[in-house]
Amino acid sequence: MDSPAANAAFAKQINIKFSLLSDMNKKMLKEYGILKGYDVQSESYQWAQRANIVIDKNGIVQHIEEGDSAVNPNNALSVCTDLHKKQTAK
Amino acid sequence: MNRILAAALLLAAVPSSAVFTANTQQADQVAKVSLKVGDAAPDFTLLSDQWKTVKLSDFKGKKNVFLAVYVLAFTGG
Repeated sequence: MDSPAANAAFAKQINIKFSLLSDMNKKMLKEYGILKGYDVQSESYQWAQRANIVIDKNGIVQHIEEGDSAVNPNNALSVCTDLHKKQTAK
Repeated sequence: MNRILAAALLLAAVPSSAVFTANTQQADQVAKVSLKVGDAAPDFTLLSDQWKTVKLSDFKGKKNVFLAVYVLAFTGG
């Protein structure tokens, strides 16, 4: 879990315009089931799996992608685009 | 008669084993909740890189939310 300070430095470095969020108490990760346990040299650690999740305006989960494929945001992006199209067409 | 009793016992066994599973899941809370498409997303409060709290419920009725959980963002991996 990166701290807000580390995130701020990263955001500045790569010049991004969206918020980077920190789950310092790992509460959200647990609730979403994406905090995983790992054993490294007989010590246990917990960190998050990579995941892309799209939640619509009504708070309903519309897309979940976990693991290595979630490094690529394109699937989640197309879900967002479709959602936006549907909502603006109404 | 024996067959009927066996069926009844089996039925009786189902609720208790379900309780047992629920208990074991409670003991190990890590990564047991898996969200599915169509579920209501649990609200969360997270700290932004500007040290402001951001809640999922802030966006309800306003915006769609794209969450990218990206561990080890600073690394090349």
